[in-house]
Amino acid sequence: MPVSDIQIFLVLPVVVLPLISFLFIFAGKKLNTENLALFHISVSFLLSLYLFSAIWDKQTFHIQWSWFSVGGTEFKAGILLNNLSVLMMVLVSGIATLVHVYSRVYMKGDPNIHKYWAYLGLFCFSMLSLVISDSLLLIYLFWELVGFSSYLLIGFWYTRDSAARASKKAFIMNRIGDLGFLTGIMIIYQQFHTLDLTLLFAENGFMQTSFIQNAMWVSDTSGMPEIWLTIAGAVFFLGAMAKSAQFPLHTWLPDAMEGPTSVSSLIHAATMVAAGVFLIARIYPVFNPQVLNMMVITGTITAFMAATIALTQNDIKRILAYSTISQLGFMIMALGIGAYSESIFHLSTHAFFKCLLFLAAGAVIHEMHHHRDKLGLDFDFQDIRRMGGLRKRMPLACISMCIASAALIGLPLTSGFLSKDAMLIKTFEWASEQVGILKIVPYLMLLSSALTAFYISRLIFKVFFAKPDVISSPVISAAKDAPKQMTYVLLILAFLSTFLPFSLNPLSYEVSWLWSGFRSVESTQAGFYHQLIPVIVNAISMLLIILAYLMYVNGKYSRLASGEGLLFRVSSGEWYLNQFYSFTFVKSVEKLAELSWRIDRYVIDSIVLSTAAVVRNISDFSRWTDKNIVDGAVNGSGAMVSKAGSIFRMLQSGRLQHYLLSILLILLTFLILTFFI
Amino acid sequence: MIPLSHFLFISACLFCIGLYAVLTKRNAIQVLIGIEFMINAAVLNFVAFGRFDANGGGGQMFALFAIVLAAAGVAVALAIILNVYKHFKTIDPVKTDTLKD
Repeated sequence: MPVSDIQIFLVLPVVVLPLISFLFIFAGKKLNTENLALFHISVSFLLSLYLFSAIWDKQTFHIQWSWFSVGGTEFKAGILLNNLSVLMMVLVSGIATLVHVYSRVYMKGDPNIHKYWAYLGLFCFSMLSLVISDSLLLIYLFWELVGFSSYLLIGFWYTRDSAARASKKAFIMNRIGDLGFLTGIMIIYQQFHTLDLTLLFAENGFMQTSFIQNAMWVSDTSGMPEIWLTIAGAVFFLGAMAKSAQFPLHTWLPDAMEGPTSVSSLIHAATMVAAGVFLIARIYPVFNPQVLNMMVITGTITAFMAATIALTQNDIKRILAYSTISQLGFMIMALGIGAYSESIFHLSTHAFFKCLLFLAAGAVIHEMHHHRDKLGLDFDFQDIRRMGGLRKRMPLACISMCIASAALIGLPLTSGFLSKDAMLIKTFEWASEQVGILKIVPYLMLLSSALTAFYISRLIFKVFFAKPDVISSPVISAAKDAPKQMTYVLLILAFLSTFLPFSLNPLSYEVSWLWSGFRSVESTQAGFYHQLIPVIVNAISMLLIILAYLMYVNGKYSRLASGEGLLFRVSSGEWYLNQFYSFTFVKSVEKLAELSWRIDRYVIDSIVLSTAAVVRNISDFSRWTDKNIVDGAVNGSGAMVSKAGSIFRMLQSGRLQHYLLSILLILLTFLILTFFI
Repeated sequence: MIPLSHFLFISACLFCIGLYAVLTKRNAIQVLIGIEFMINAAVLNFVAFGRFDANGGGGQMFALFAIVLAAAGVAVALAIILNVYKHFKTIDPVKTDTLKD
């Protein structure tokens, strides 16, 4: 089905509708905001579905308009729709729609609810615009907007100190990445004099036709030393690292869980954090092997580190946040080894099952919070140690969460099985061609994957299967499944976490339409890893799930779970990265601030004060001079004139004879002066 | 023959008397009389010096002219005095001191 331009302009409403919803809610009455927001995002979702059906695997669509020109250079703004962007579009608007439905119940009764819907609209607008933008400058613009709306939503409960701090932390950490992104844009612009994605990165685009010669990176228009290519890749990657929460810039994401759970689900699990991965995928040709290796290493460290930290956290949302970081590490690593399609595949599957995990956790938190406040108890309602035995109380939440966890672990019949095993297989294939330290990457990934199985089973067993805590058992027995709207969303997402939407064959990712939509080269190695890896992964996972069951439900091996030992403490202390940052960066900035304060207080202030004193003295002197000398002269001459006036006044007696006498005297004086002197 | 200096002396005396009257009298009529004294002192001078112009008689002519002018002047001055009296109800020059500011 060919697509005409008219039809393609449907893409504009897709992105603009959420913006309209944002503006309406801010400008209009604060009534019925939830319906307004839901209506706009649903229409947006339906339109993106239509566009998806028109574009996917059929054609690429690109349209652009002149935006502004600086000097002789014209900047263009436009829309670029290809497989990647329509996929992201459907993903974002789809999950956003589900989260909107969910939030109607979840956020009910919040006094600032209209702001919530407005911010969600702003976020959807920026994210959707980000994925369809055709130039780096536009992407950067929406990249910032996405970060800003994320900031607003993390700090939605801004009266809580921790939420306000978390939002600032997220914003500042993201600035580091934005700086990288901006630097990358500058380098690319300097080299190619354009920021247009198609011109730069398409087949035979500028990026492909540029080459390295005599340690110079040469393009049609200019050249620069070779190192700049690596730097460009590295700084773009830095941008992606901050947005996708990669080590060492990941610390903002766990703190971002201070926002509402629905927001965490939409933004900090499914869509926004994928923006970094999306960016890398969008500008993939810019990365040279060095940078790709950096990605592999960063991704591996991130995946492993986050998985180890997730093992010991007790806050249900924090576990899921670290799980997100870990999975993003997997995706980045996969991009680094060139497993482009696997990475995007995992991005899509992960979006659904992680969204589901969060929303189900949200349902649990909602119940815990609600009944805790009703019963007037006091405990942390997000702490998994306080939960337990919710299986019977919230069966639907339990089932959907189990499905999502299975997908996260990568058990068969789930979407995660397809995408995760695809990535692991690729990693092993890739590592077989590497030498040195990179050989251990697949084993670390395997280990991270195993840890994933353990930590998520720990969560499931503690929340749903273990015996309830003494403090919270009245709450547990009062809990019941979430209201219908929320539960429907969970069930839809549970369906989307199975293999069915992605592949007809539950055991082979190669028949998945999504995977093949991004495949560029035919994979010839039907190799031996292909059968082995899934078996190994699942065997280990099953073992660990059983172990977790024994530990947390039956209470065996309690020494392991007791929280002693160095490794446990490193893990529950989140590798002490926050402390490290606090020590190195925050403390040094504080020291610098104190130094500046001292300089200000003692050096600058004293200069200012002494200058002031000098000026005061000068002005005192001037005042004295003015009062005594200038005023004296003026007043003195005035007094003199007045004296003289009163003397001469006496002559004016008005008597004729006096005048005549004066005339006589004057005449006589003249006479005497003329004739006798 | 009476020498010229006698005339001049008499004339100076007359002038001084007139001047004194003008400056001191508390009655405008007496002041006017003083003025007449001074005019006549001048007239006497004209006549006395007229001796040196016996043929032309210029001095005598000027004297006559001055007498006529003085008569006219007295008429005007009396009219002014009359008006002053009407206005101030007095002709004491000390009391009519509205020339001052």
